[in-house]
Amino acid sequence: MPTPALEISGVTKRYAAHTAVRDLSLTVPTGTVYGLLGPNGAGKTTTIRMILNIIAPDTGTIRILGAPHAAGASLDRVGYLPEERGLYKKMMVRDVLRFLAELKGIDRKTADLRIDEWLERLTLRTEAKDWGRAKVDELSRGMQQKVQFIGTLLHDPELVILDEPFSGLDPINAQALKDTVVELRRRGRTVIFSTHLMDNAERLCDAVCIIAGGTKVLDGTMTDVKGAHAGRTVALVLESDPPSDVRAALADRSLVARCDDHGRTFELELASGADAQTLLRRLVSAGAVIQRFERVQPSLHQIFLERVGATGVEPGMSGHG
Amino acid sequence: MAKLWAVIRREYLERVRTKWFVIVTLFGPLFFGGIMILPAYLSVRSMREARVANIRILDATGTGLGVRIADRLAAPTLQGPSPERAPVDELRPAELAAREAELIAQIQRKELAGVLVVDSATVSSGAARYAGRNAGSVGDIDVMEAAIRQSLLAFRLESEGIDAARAESLTKVRVRLTADRVTDEGLGGSGIANTIFGFGVAFLLYFSIVFYGQAILRGVLEEKTTRVAEVIVASVSPDVLLAGKVIGVGAVGLTQQLVWVLSSVGFYTQRATIFGAMGIKGMPQVGLPSVEPFVLVALVLFFLLGYTLYASLFAAVGAMVGSQEEAQQAAQPVIMLLVFSIIFAQPVLTNPNSRLAEIVSWVPFSAPIIMPMRMTATPIGAGEIIGSLLGVLLASVACVWVAARIYRVGLLMYGKRPSLAELGRWIRQS
Repeated sequence: MPTPALEISGVTKRYAAHTAVRDLSLTVPTGTVYGLLGPNGAGKTTTIRMILNIIAPDTGTIRILGAPHAAGASLDRVGYLPEERGLYKKMMVRDVLRFLAELKGIDRKTADLRIDEWLERLTLRTEAKDWGRAKVDELSRGMQQKVQFIGTLLHDPELVILDEPFSGLDPINAQALKDTVVELRRRGRTVIFSTHLMDNAERLCDAVCIIAGGTKVLDGTMTDVKGAHAGRTVALVLESDPPSDVRAALADRSLVARCDDHGRTFELELASGADAQTLLRRLVSAGAVIQRFERVQPSLHQIFLERVGATGVEPGMSGHG
Repeated sequence: MAKLWAVIRREYLERVRTKWFVIVTLFGPLFFGGIMILPAYLSVRSMREARVANIRILDATGTGLGVRIADRLAAPTLQGPSPERAPVDELRPAELAAREAELIAQIQRKELAGVLVVDSATVSSGAARYAGRNAGSVGDIDVMEAAIRQSLLAFRLESEGIDAARAESLTKVRVRLTADRVTDEGLGGSGIANTIFGFGVAFLLYFSIVFYGQAILRGVLEEKTTRVAEVIVASVSPDVLLAGKVIGVGAVGLTQQLVWVLSSVGFYTQRATIFGAMGIKGMPQVGLPSVEPFVLVALVLFFLLGYTLYASLFAAVGAMVGSQEEAQQAAQPVIMLLVFSIIFAQPVLTNPNSRLAEIVSWVPFSAPIIMPMRMTATPIGAGEIIGSLLGVLLASVACVWVAARIYRVGLLMYGKRPSLAELGRWIRQS
């Protein structure tokens, strides 16, 4: 088995008033796109900061690409885009990027070559205008986001960590980000990103870890996670608005554990012990005119609600994101 | 090390390239040059321009004192050609009041600069009066007083039977007091020059520490508010970032001071040319302060340690707060420490061997400013200097240690400014 890109084992971080991360263990295989999912204040940012050795865990170990994360050389192989983004406003774009590259151990010559490539690729340098020579605060917000993104990838990191990368992006930059993530994966790089938006995660991730209240709720490959929750979910579409008997059937907790009601469209989760046949018979006898009744794989969103809803979100946990 | 170097270079270049750095660095020498040249120029100029030539002397003594005074006032001076001789009216005491009123009217019409009146009271007690537009000019009054004093003395000597030529040579006495400083090594340079130099050193240290300490505070705050800090500490440790910042900004300060010191030395060695170009022949004597090499080395060490001590404190303040306004407030205690030092500069300088002077040059927070000033103004034992340096060194190490901890935690903390208890926890936990 190849060396995992990231191994976290038994990591705990306590603050005076609360525990931000509790006994967290996870493994990110090399070459995958990994989603760190959780509600706001779940401990995602704290976890990421511990991976990057910005804050020290109270207990547990973290290894990046097989080496202890605190070793300087380990962090040189990691690219990081924090949730709160910012650059030196008064500096020339090119100087900021060169500085960020130097902090990752890239010499100036190599950095300059790559900066040119990147500026051209993201259309910050064209025949008409070279934004690399402008000061950061002369750039639009969208352009600054691009510069920040270049800064994250300039040293061609093997492991890329993006904290809530989609927040605050305009649709064009969001698409560019998705394309880049796919491109990085194709080149064998590992990408970890945190998000509370399940749609993005579902489409991009090979594997996920859901955390809530500082504790891991579940983790695994997307296929495994969905497989474990398969067969319990039913997609139901009715011809018309349901009569009260049908509503009563859907509200029966011995049959339906959860019902995501959209009017005529429902995503149902079967109660434990109940089976789909029984539910179907009950609905038909109650007078439902069924357009679609299908056992489906649950969406990540559904799984998230099911698992995190049960665990709950501890209040007052959002101080570090 | 390469990363520390990258941080230092960024701090240095980004600051040295700013307009303000260029302006302040160039303004410094002009300022110091001005301080050196202007008073000398003005004093020489005011003596030369003393308008005692355009006055009229009223002599009611009947002894010829007025003529003597006019002669003396018209004598050539070091600074330039002899002024025009003032006309003298010899008259009887009874006519005096009317003539004086007439002349004052002329002064009002600006036909005359002033009128000097000597009468019997002048001969008996030295009392004379002057009325003129330049009555506020200390230089002019000094010149006239001297002329009256010498004339009166010559007149009295003559009336005691000493002949005119001898009386003249006897009264022409020029006093020039040179004050030399005695140190352990023997006779040193000019005492006044050393005092001025000592004060200059204290002011420069104070100014540099405040100016560059605040620059560090603003730099830390910028990294914090723009959230650049998080990207950087994901690549280098906060300690490296802090060290790079302190060293980089310190190097900017040293560059500036080097320019200042070199240009001051340039001004000094070229002063004859400069004064000559301004048309001043008689160059006022500027004494060189005598500073031993040991004192110079200690001076540089005091600057480096004092700067490090305060820079780390300012960095900690920058990491604690979230905005410029908060920073102003939170920096108050640190500024107070500095102000406290400079408040004692004056009393220490007037009496550099007092108990107070000794105490404040031992307190590590004031020592970096007071001790350099004291040891350039007056000789101080090497033991005391080294002891004070050690104290500052220990305090610097302690401040850097505490500040680094506050910095590490504070850099990524947003929201409310921490209370003292929270600060204590930051220091313990990191």
